[in-house]
Amino acid sequence: MEIYDISYLSLVACFLLLVIPVFVSQYLKLGIIQDTVVSVSRMVVQLAFVGVFLTVLFDLNNSIVNLLWLLVMLIMATHTTISDVGLDLKKLLVPTIFSFIIGNFLVLLYFNMFVVNLENLFDARFLIPIFGMFLGNSLRGNIISISSFYDAIKRNENRYLYSLSLGAKKHEAILPYARKSLDLALKPSIANMSTIGIVALPGMMTGQIIAGSSPILAIKYQMAIMVGIYVSTVMTVAIGIFMTIRSSFDEYGILKQDVFKSTNA
Amino acid sequence: MSSELLNYKDISISYGEKKVLSHFDLDIKQGDRILLKGRSGAGKSTLLKMPMGFAHQTSGNLYFNNSLLDSNTVWDARKRIAYVSQDLDIYEGSVDEFIEEVFSYSFNEGKLDRTKLRRLLVYLGFEKDVLDMNFEELSGGEKQRIGIIMSVLIGKDIYLLDEITSSLDAALKEKVANYFLERKEWTLVIISHDDVWEKENVKVVPVGV
Repeated sequence: MEIYDISYLSLVACFLLLVIPVFVSQYLKLGIIQDTVVSVSRMVVQLAFVGVFLTVLFDLNNSIVNLLWLLVMLIMATHTTISDVGLDLKKLLVPTIFSFIIGNFLVLLYFNMFVVNLENLFDARFLIPIFGMFLGNSLRGNIISISSFYDAIKRNENRYLYSLSLGAKKHEAILPYARKSLDLALKPSIANMSTIGIVALPGMMTGQIIAGSSPILAIKYQMAIMVGIYVSTVMTVAIGIFMTIRSSFDEYGILKQDVFKSTNA
Repeated sequence: MSSELLNYKDISISYGEKKVLSHFDLDIKQGDRILLKGRSGAGKSTLLKMPMGFAHQTSGNLYFNNSLLDSNTVWDARKRIAYVSQDLDIYEGSVDEFIEEVFSYSFNEGKLDRTKLRRLLVYLGFEKDVLDMNFEELSGGEKQRIGIIMSVLIGKDIYLLDEITSSLDAALKEKVANYFLERKEWTLVIISHDDVWEKENVKVVPVGV
Protein backbone atom coordinates (compact mmCIF):
# COMPACT_ATOMS: atom_id res chain seq x y z
CA MET A 1 0.00 0.00 0.00
CA GLU A 2 1.03 3.54 -0.68
CA ILE A 3 1.86 6.01 2.08
CA TYR A 4 0.33 9.42 1.53
CA ASP A 5 2.79 11.97 2.79
CA ILE A 6 1.51 15.28 4.08
CA SER A 7 3.45 18.10 2.47
CA TYR A 8 4.24 21.24 4.46
CA LEU A 9 1.85 23.10 2.19
CA SER A 10 -0.98 20.68 3.04
CA LEU A 11 -0.13 21.12 6.72
CA VAL A 12 -0.66 24.84 6.27
CA ALA A 13 -4.01 23.98 4.66
CA CYS A 14 -4.88 22.00 7.76
CA PHE A 15 -4.05 24.92 10.05
CA LEU A 16 -6.39 27.06 7.94
CA LEU A 17 -9.22 25.03 9.50
CA LEU A 18 -8.47 26.83 12.75
CA VAL A 19 -10.26 29.84 11.31
CA ILE A 20 -13.48 28.05 12.30
CA PRO A 21 -12.86 27.94 16.08
CA VAL A 22 -11.63 31.53 15.89
CA PHE A 23 -14.85 32.51 14.19
CA VAL A 24 -16.96 30.55 16.67
CA SER A 25 -15.13 32.11 19.59
CA GLN A 26 -15.56 35.59 18.16
CA TYR A 27 -19.24 35.08 17.45
CA LEU A 28 -20.14 33.50 20.79
CA LYS A 29 -17.62 35.60 22.77
CA LEU A 30 -16.04 32.44 24.17
CA GLY A 31 -12.69 34.14 24.68
CA ILE A 32 -10.73 31.05 23.68
CA ILE A 33 -8.78 32.64 20.82
CA GLN A 34 -5.75 33.41 22.92
CA ASP A 35 -5.79 29.97 24.56
CA THR A 36 -6.14 28.34 21.17
CA VAL A 37 -3.20 30.26 19.72
CA VAL A 38 -1.00 29.45 22.71
CA SER A 39 -1.97 25.77 22.75
CA VAL A 40 -1.56 25.29 19.02
CA SER A 41 1.83 27.03 19.07
CA ARG A 42 2.97 24.88 21.96
CA MET A 43 1.82 21.77 20.15
CA VAL A 44 3.70 22.77 17.00
CA VAL A 45 6.93 23.56 18.84
CA GLN A 46 6.81 20.46 21.06
CA LEU A 47 5.98 18.06 18.25
CA ALA A 48 8.53 19.64 15.90
CA PHE A 49 11.14 19.16 18.59
CA VAL A 50 10.08 15.55 19.19
CA GLY A 51 10.01 14.88 15.43
CA VAL A 52 13.57 16.09 14.95
CA PHE A 53 14.67 14.41 18.12
CA LEU A 54 13.11 11.04 17.27
CA THR A 55 14.58 11.18 13.75
CA VAL A 56 18.06 11.58 15.23
CA LEU A 57 17.33 8.90 17.84
CA PHE A 58 16.02 6.43 15.27
CA ASP A 59 18.94 7.04 12.89
CA LEU A 60 21.40 6.56 15.71
CA ASN A 61 19.47 3.63 17.22
CA ASN A 62 22.00 3.13 19.99
CA SER A 63 20.63 1.05 22.89
CA ILE A 64 22.37 3.15 25.55
CA VAL A 65 21.07 6.42 24.10
CA ASN A 66 17.58 4.92 23.81
CA LEU A 67 17.62 3.83 27.44
CA LEU A 68 18.90 7.23 28.52
CA TRP A 69 15.95 8.81 26.71
CA LEU A 70 13.58 6.48 28.59
CA LEU A 71 15.20 7.71 31.78
CA VAL A 72 14.46 11.32 30.81
CA MET A 73 10.82 10.35 30.12
CA LEU A 74 10.67 8.63 33.51
CA ILE A 75 12.01 11.64 35.38
CA MET A 76 9.54 13.91 33.62
CA ALA A 77 6.66 11.56 34.49
CA THR A 78 7.74 11.37 38.14
CA HIS A 79 8.10 15.12 38.42
CA THR A 80 4.67 15.65 36.86
CA THR A 81 3.03 13.14 39.20
CA ILE A 82 4.41 14.62 42.38
CA SER A 83 3.97 18.28 41.51
CA ASP A 84 0.45 17.61 40.24
CA VAL A 85 -0.67 16.06 43.50
CA GLY A 86 0.82 18.77 45.75
CA LEU A 87 3.20 16.53 47.65
CA ASP A 88 6.78 17.11 48.68
CA LEU A 89 8.97 16.08 45.74
CA LYS A 90 12.01 15.01 47.74
CA LYS A 91 10.12 12.64 50.04
CA LEU A 92 8.35 10.72 47.30
CA LEU A 93 10.81 10.91 44.40
CA VAL A 94 12.46 7.53 44.85
CA PRO A 95 9.27 5.49 45.45
CA THR A 96 7.46 7.09 42.53
CA ILE A 97 10.31 6.65 40.05
CA PHE A 98 10.69 3.07 41.25
CA SER A 99 7.00 2.39 40.56
CA PHE A 100 7.33 3.70 37.01
CA ILE A 101 10.47 1.64 36.34
CA ILE A 102 9.06 -1.65 37.65
CA GLY A 103 5.59 -1.12 36.25
CA ASN A 104 6.57 0.02 32.78
CA PHE A 105 10.03 -1.21 32.00
CA LEU A 106 9.47 -4.85 32.95
CA VAL A 107 6.24 -5.03 30.98
CA LEU A 108 7.99 -3.32 28.05
CA LEU A 109 10.82 -5.86 28.02
CA TYR A 110 8.36 -8.74 28.13
CA PHE A 111 6.36 -7.10 25.37
CA ASN A 112 9.36 -6.59 23.09
CA MET A 113 10.72 -10.05 23.79
CA PHE A 114 7.64 -12.29 23.63
CA VAL A 115 4.99 -10.28 21.81
CA VAL A 116 6.83 -8.34 19.11
CA ASN A 117 9.75 -10.82 19.12
CA LEU A 118 12.37 -8.15 18.57
CA GLU A 119 15.96 -9.13 17.95
CA ASN A 120 17.20 -5.96 19.59
CA LEU A 121 15.02 -5.38 22.67
CA PHE A 122 16.15 -1.78 22.79
CA ASP A 123 15.28 -0.89 19.20
CA ALA A 124 14.29 2.77 19.27
CA ARG A 125 11.37 2.36 16.86
CA PHE A 126 9.58 0.09 19.36
CA LEU A 127 11.16 0.96 22.68
CA ILE A 128 10.33 4.66 22.71
CA PRO A 129 6.75 4.82 21.33
CA ILE A 130 5.56 1.78 23.31
CA PHE A 131 7.20 2.99 26.49
CA GLY A 132 5.57 6.36 25.86
CA MET A 133 2.13 4.78 25.65
CA PHE A 134 2.68 2.73 28.80
CA LEU A 135 4.13 5.67 30.66
CA GLY A 136 1.43 8.11 29.61
CA ASN A 137 -1.31 5.83 30.91
CA SER A 138 0.41 4.79 34.10
CA LEU A 139 1.26 8.45 34.72
CA ARG A 140 -2.43 9.30 34.66
CA GLY A 141 -3.14 6.31 36.91
CA ASN A 142 -0.44 7.27 39.39
CA ILE A 143 -1.67 10.85 39.62
CA ILE A 144 -5.23 9.70 40.32
CA SER A 145 -4.29 7.02 42.83
CA ILE A 146 -1.64 8.96 44.75
CA SER A 147 -3.64 12.17 44.95
CA SER A 148 -6.87 10.45 45.94
CA PHE A 149 -5.06 8.28 48.49
CA TYR A 150 -3.34 11.15 50.32
CA ASP A 151 -6.46 13.27 50.04
CA ALA A 152 -8.60 10.58 51.61
CA ILE A 153 -6.21 9.69 54.37
CA LYS A 154 -5.73 13.33 55.32
CA ARG A 155 -9.48 13.99 55.27
CA ASN A 156 -10.13 10.85 57.32
CA GLU A 157 -7.24 11.33 59.72
CA ASN A 158 -9.33 10.75 62.84
CA ARG A 159 -11.00 7.72 61.36
CA TYR A 160 -7.60 6.35 60.46
CA LEU A 161 -6.32 6.85 64.01
CA TYR A 162 -9.52 5.32 65.30
CA SER A 163 -8.81 2.20 63.21
CA LEU A 164 -5.34 1.98 64.76
CA SER A 165 -6.87 2.28 68.22
CA LEU A 166 -9.31 -0.51 67.35
CA GLY A 167 -6.47 -2.93 66.82
CA ALA A 168 -5.61 -2.43 63.15
CA LYS A 169 -2.05 -3.02 62.09
CA LYS A 170 -0.60 -0.26 59.95
CA HIS A 171 -1.35 -2.02 56.68
CA GLU A 172 -4.86 -2.95 57.81
CA ALA A 173 -5.66 0.66 58.63
CA ILE A 174 -4.24 1.88 55.33
CA LEU A 175 -5.68 -0.79 53.05
CA PRO A 176 -9.25 0.54 52.72
CA TYR A 177 -7.90 3.88 51.45
CA ALA A 178 -5.35 2.25 49.14
CA ARG A 179 -7.99 -0.07 47.74
CA LYS A 180 -10.37 2.78 46.99
CA SER A 181 -7.75 4.91 45.25
CA LEU A 182 -6.46 2.00 43.16
CA ASP A 183 -10.00 1.26 42.10
CA LEU A 184 -10.46 4.90 41.11
CA ALA A 185 -7.22 4.91 39.13
CA LEU A 186 -7.95 1.70 37.23
CA LYS A 187 -11.55 2.36 36.32
CA PRO A 188 -10.73 4.54 33.26
CA SER A 189 -8.39 1.87 31.86
CA ILE A 190 -11.02 -0.82 32.29
CA ALA A 191 -13.73 1.33 30.74
CA ASN A 192 -11.37 2.16 27.91
CA MET A 193 -10.87 -1.49 27.02
CA SER A 194 -14.54 -2.34 27.04
CA THR A 195 -15.57 0.46 24.67
CA ILE A 196 -12.62 0.40 22.32
CA GLY A 197 -13.48 -0.02 18.66
CA ILE A 198 -17.10 0.98 19.24
CA VAL A 199 -16.91 4.46 20.67
CA ALA A 200 -13.58 5.41 19.19
CA LEU A 201 -10.88 3.95 17.04
CA PRO A 202 -7.67 4.20 19.01
CA GLY A 203 -4.95 6.51 17.73
CA MET A 204 -2.32 3.87 17.34
CA MET A 205 -4.52 1.62 15.23
CA THR A 206 -5.72 4.52 13.11
CA GLY A 207 -2.12 5.57 12.59
CA GLN A 208 -1.07 2.12 11.46
CA ILE A 209 -3.98 1.81 9.04
CA ILE A 210 -3.29 5.22 7.50
CA ALA A 211 0.39 4.32 7.25
CA GLY A 212 -0.57 1.26 5.20
CA SER A 213 -0.90 -1.68 7.59
CA SER A 214 -3.77 -4.10 7.18
CA PRO A 215 -6.59 -3.58 9.69
CA ILE A 216 -5.99 -7.09 11.07
CA LEU A 217 -2.36 -6.34 11.84
CA ALA A 218 -3.35 -2.99 13.35
CA ILE A 219 -5.94 -4.71 15.54
CA LYS A 220 -3.47 -7.31 16.76
CA TYR A 221 -1.07 -4.55 17.74
CA GLN A 222 -3.86 -2.63 19.38
CA MET A 223 -4.96 -5.61 21.48
CA ALA A 224 -1.40 -6.27 22.54
CA ILE A 225 -0.80 -2.65 23.43
CA MET A 226 -4.06 -2.36 25.40
CA VAL A 227 -3.15 -5.38 27.49
CA GLY A 228 0.34 -3.98 27.97
CA ILE A 229 -1.03 -0.61 29.01
CA TYR A 230 -3.46 -2.17 31.45
CA VAL A 231 -0.87 -4.42 33.06
CA SER A 232 1.73 -1.66 33.34
CA THR A 233 -0.85 0.72 34.81
CA VAL A 234 -1.96 -1.83 37.42
CA MET A 235 1.65 -2.54 38.38
CA THR A 236 2.66 1.11 38.50
CA VAL A 237 -0.24 2.34 40.62
CA ALA A 238 -0.08 -0.61 43.03
CA ILE A 239 3.67 -0.26 43.50
CA GLY A 240 3.33 3.54 43.57
CA ILE A 241 0.89 3.53 46.47
CA PHE A 242 2.69 0.92 48.53
CA MET A 243 6.16 2.37 47.93
CA THR A 244 5.14 5.92 48.84
CA ILE A 245 3.40 4.61 51.98
CA ARG A 246 6.74 3.33 53.22
CA SER A 247 8.21 6.80 53.25
CA SER A 248 5.16 8.85 54.18
CA PHE A 249 4.14 7.18 57.46
CA ASP A 250 6.28 7.28 60.61
CA GLU A 251 7.16 4.32 62.84
CA TYR A 252 4.06 4.94 64.90
CA GLY A 253 1.99 4.41 61.76
CA ILE A 254 1.03 8.09 61.60
CA LEU A 255 1.01 10.05 58.33
CA LYS A 256 3.94 12.46 58.27
CA GLN A 257 2.60 15.98 57.83
CA ASP A 258 5.65 17.08 55.87
CA VAL A 259 4.78 14.95 52.83
CA PHE A 260 2.37 17.75 51.97
CA LYS A 261 3.90 20.80 50.34
CA SER A 262 1.58 23.37 51.90
CA THR A 263 2.15 22.36 55.53
CA ASN A 264 5.88 23.02 55.42
CA ALA A 265 5.48 26.48 56.91
CA MET B 1 8.55 -4.07 89.46
CA SER B 2 5.34 -2.25 90.26
CA SER B 3 1.93 -3.24 88.99
CA GLU B 4 1.57 0.09 87.25
CA LEU B 5 0.15 0.08 83.75
CA LEU B 6 0.95 3.61 82.71
CA ASN B 7 3.57 5.87 84.20
CA TYR B 8 3.88 9.45 83.08
CA LYS B 9 7.31 10.60 84.28
CA ASP B 10 8.27 14.26 84.27
CA ILE B 11 6.21 15.01 81.18
CA SER B 12 6.38 18.45 79.58
CA ILE B 13 4.30 19.46 76.60
CA SER B 14 4.76 22.46 74.33
CA TYR B 15 2.76 23.48 71.29
CA GLY B 16 5.35 25.25 69.18
CA GLU B 17 6.88 27.92 71.42
CA LYS B 18 4.09 27.76 73.97
CA LYS B 19 4.70 25.59 77.01
CA VAL B 20 1.39 24.16 78.24
CA LEU B 21 2.43 21.53 80.76
CA SER B 22 5.61 21.06 82.77
CA HIS B 23 6.93 18.23 84.89
CA PHE B 24 3.72 16.23 85.06
CA ASP B 25 3.82 12.88 86.86
CA LEU B 26 1.07 10.28 87.06
CA ASP B 27 1.06 6.55 87.86
CA ILE B 28 -1.93 4.53 86.79
CA LYS B 29 -2.53 1.06 88.19
CA GLN B 30 -4.86 -1.63 86.94
CA GLY B 31 -8.46 -0.83 87.92
CA ASP B 32 -7.78 2.88 88.54
CA ARG B 33 -10.33 5.41 87.38
CA ILE B 34 -8.68 8.74 86.73
CA LEU B 35 -10.49 11.92 85.76
CA LEU B 36 -8.14 14.52 84.27
CA LYS B 37 -9.29 18.05 85.07
CA GLY B 38 -7.88 21.32 83.82
CA ARG B 39 -8.60 24.30 81.61
CA SER B 40 -8.78 23.70 77.90
CA GLY B 41 -5.41 23.78 76.20
CA ALA B 42 -3.67 22.45 79.30
CA GLY B 43 -2.50 19.31 77.49
CA LYS B 44 -5.14 16.83 78.74
CA SER B 45 -5.93 15.47 75.29
CA THR B 46 -2.25 15.15 74.47
CA LEU B 47 -1.72 13.14 77.67
CA LEU B 48 -4.56 10.86 76.64
CA LYS B 49 -3.27 10.38 73.09
CA MET B 50 0.31 9.66 74.12
CA PRO B 51 -0.16 5.98 75.06
CA MET B 52 -1.54 5.39 71.54
CA GLY B 53 1.36 7.22 69.89
CA PHE B 54 -1.07 9.75 68.39
CA ALA B 55 0.63 12.65 70.17
CA HIS B 56 4.05 13.06 71.74
CA GLN B 57 5.46 14.82 74.78
CA THR B 58 8.16 17.43 74.37
CA SER B 59 10.21 15.92 77.18
CA GLY B 60 9.89 13.21 79.82
CA ASN B 61 9.00 9.56 79.43
CA LEU B 62 5.89 7.45 79.30
CA TYR B 63 6.03 3.80 80.37
CA PHE B 64 3.49 1.15 79.50
CA ASN B 65 3.71 -2.05 81.53
CA ASN B 66 7.11 -0.88 82.77
CA SER B 67 8.63 -0.50 79.33
CA LEU B 68 9.33 2.79 77.65
CA LEU B 69 6.67 3.62 75.13
CA ASP B 70 8.26 4.09 71.73
CA SER B 71 7.58 3.17 68.12
CA ASN B 72 8.20 -0.52 68.90
CA THR B 73 6.17 -0.91 72.08
CA VAL B 74 3.28 1.31 70.94
CA TRP B 75 1.85 -1.54 68.86
CA ASP B 76 1.49 -3.70 72.00
CA ALA B 77 -0.05 -0.79 73.85
CA ARG B 78 -2.62 -0.35 71.08
CA LYS B 79 -3.68 -3.98 71.50
CA ARG B 80 -4.67 -3.41 75.12
CA ILE B 81 -5.75 0.21 75.15
CA ALA B 82 -8.91 1.62 73.63
CA TYR B 83 -8.83 5.32 72.82
CA VAL B 84 -12.27 6.79 72.28
CA SER B 85 -12.48 10.38 71.12
CA GLN B 86 -15.43 12.73 71.31
CA ASP B 87 -16.35 12.44 67.69
CA LEU B 88 -16.15 9.58 65.30
CA ASP B 89 -15.09 11.22 62.05
CA ILE B 90 -16.60 8.91 59.49
CA TYR B 91 -18.29 10.23 56.38
CA GLU B 92 -18.79 7.24 54.15
CA GLY B 93 -20.35 3.83 54.30
CA SER B 94 -22.84 2.21 56.65
CA VAL B 95 -22.35 1.45 60.32
CA ASP B 96 -22.37 -2.27 59.60
CA GLU B 97 -19.70 -1.94 56.90
CA PHE B 98 -17.45 -0.18 59.38
CA ILE B 99 -18.05 -2.87 62.00
CA GLU B 100 -17.21 -5.56 59.43
CA GLU B 101 -14.04 -3.69 58.51
CA VAL B 102 -12.90 -3.42 62.11
CA PHE B 103 -13.53 -7.08 62.79
CA SER B 104 -11.60 -8.08 59.69
CA TYR B 105 -8.35 -6.87 61.33
CA SER B 106 -6.33 -9.94 62.27
CA PHE B 107 -6.25 -8.84 65.91
CA ASN B 108 -10.07 -8.80 66.10
CA GLU B 109 -10.88 -11.78 63.93
CA GLY B 110 -13.70 -13.92 65.23
CA LYS B 111 -14.40 -11.51 68.10
CA LEU B 112 -17.58 -9.98 66.73
CA ASP B 113 -20.37 -10.88 69.12
CA ARG B 114 -23.59 -9.85 67.36
CA THR B 115 -25.70 -10.59 70.45
CA LYS B 116 -23.57 -8.28 72.56
CA LEU B 117 -23.67 -5.67 69.79
CA ARG B 118 -27.47 -5.76 69.73
CA ARG B 119 -27.62 -5.58 73.52
CA LEU B 120 -25.33 -2.55 73.57
CA LEU B 121 -27.32 -0.83 70.83
CA VAL B 122 -30.51 -1.28 72.81
CA TYR B 123 -28.83 -0.20 76.06
CA LEU B 124 -27.66 3.02 74.42
CA GLY B 125 -31.11 3.71 72.98
CA PHE B 126 -30.70 2.78 69.32
CA GLU B 127 -33.39 1.43 67.04
CA LYS B 128 -32.15 -1.78 65.44
CA ASP B 129 -31.88 -0.45 61.89
CA VAL B 130 -29.01 1.89 62.79
CA LEU B 131 -26.63 -0.74 61.41
CA ASP B 132 -27.93 -0.18 57.88
CA MET B 133 -27.70 3.58 58.18
CA ASN B 134 -24.90 5.58 56.61
CA PHE B 135 -22.63 7.59 58.85
CA GLU B 136 -23.62 10.86 57.21
CA GLU B 137 -27.20 10.30 58.37
CA LEU B 138 -26.14 10.02 62.02
CA SER B 139 -26.05 12.90 64.49
CA GLY B 140 -22.92 13.70 66.49
CA GLY B 141 -24.37 11.98 69.54
CA GLU B 142 -25.25 8.85 67.56
CA LYS B 143 -21.74 8.64 66.11
CA GLN B 144 -20.38 9.09 69.61
CA ARG B 145 -22.44 6.14 70.87
CA ILE B 146 -21.35 3.94 67.94
CA GLY B 147 -17.73 4.81 68.78
CA ILE B 148 -18.29 3.79 72.40
CA ILE B 149 -19.95 0.51 71.40
CA MET B 150 -17.14 -0.38 69.00
CA SER B 151 -14.45 0.14 71.61
CA VAL B 152 -16.35 -2.03 74.08
CA LEU B 153 -16.97 -4.80 71.52
CA ILE B 154 -13.26 -5.11 70.81
CA GLY B 155 -12.84 -6.17 74.42
CA LYS B 156 -9.90 -4.18 75.76
CA ASP B 157 -9.27 -3.41 79.42
CA ILE B 158 -7.74 0.05 79.40
CA TYR B 159 -9.96 2.87 78.19
CA LEU B 160 -8.85 6.39 77.38
CA LEU B 161 -12.07 8.36 77.10
CA ASP B 162 -11.87 11.87 75.64
CA GLU B 163 -15.14 13.74 76.19
CA ILE B 164 -17.15 10.73 75.06
CA THR B 165 -20.39 11.94 76.64
CA SER B 166 -20.24 15.53 75.38
CA SER B 167 -23.03 15.23 72.77
CA LEU B 168 -25.35 12.93 74.71
CA ASP B 169 -28.50 13.84 76.63
CA ALA B 170 -28.50 13.64 80.42
CA ALA B 171 -29.99 10.14 80.65
CA LEU B 172 -27.50 8.69 78.17
CA LYS B 173 -24.54 10.45 79.85
CA GLU B 174 -25.49 8.68 83.04
CA LYS B 175 -25.90 5.31 81.31
CA VAL B 176 -22.55 5.52 79.54
CA ALA B 177 -20.68 6.62 82.66
CA ASN B 178 -22.31 3.87 84.72
CA TYR B 179 -21.50 1.24 82.11
CA PHE B 180 -17.80 2.03 82.29
CA LEU B 181 -17.60 2.69 86.03
CA GLU B 182 -19.41 -0.55 86.92
CA ARG B 183 -16.67 -2.65 85.31
CA LYS B 184 -14.19 -2.71 88.16
CA GLU B 185 -11.52 -4.65 86.27
CA TRP B 186 -11.22 -1.94 83.62
CA THR B 187 -8.72 0.88 83.90
CA LEU B 188 -10.20 4.23 82.90
CA VAL B 189 -8.59 7.56 82.14
CA ILE B 190 -11.26 10.14 81.47
CA ILE B 191 -11.44 13.69 80.20
CA SER B 192 -14.92 15.15 80.63
CA HIS B 193 -16.78 18.28 81.59
CA ASP B 194 -19.78 16.16 82.57
CA ASP B 195 -20.25 15.59 86.29
CA VAL B 196 -21.65 12.09 85.70
CA TRP B 197 -18.06 10.85 85.88
CA GLU B 198 -17.40 12.41 89.26
CA LYS B 199 -18.35 9.44 91.42
CA GLU B 200 -16.65 7.78 94.34
CA ASN B 201 -13.60 5.73 93.37
CA VAL B 202 -12.91 8.20 90.57
CA LYS B 203 -9.70 10.04 91.33
CA VAL B 204 -9.57 13.60 90.07
CA VAL B 205 -6.13 14.59 88.83
CA PRO B 206 -5.51 18.26 88.07
CA VAL B 207 -3.60 18.98 84.88
CA GLY B 208 -1.75 22.28 84.57
CA VAL B 209 -2.45 25.16 86.91
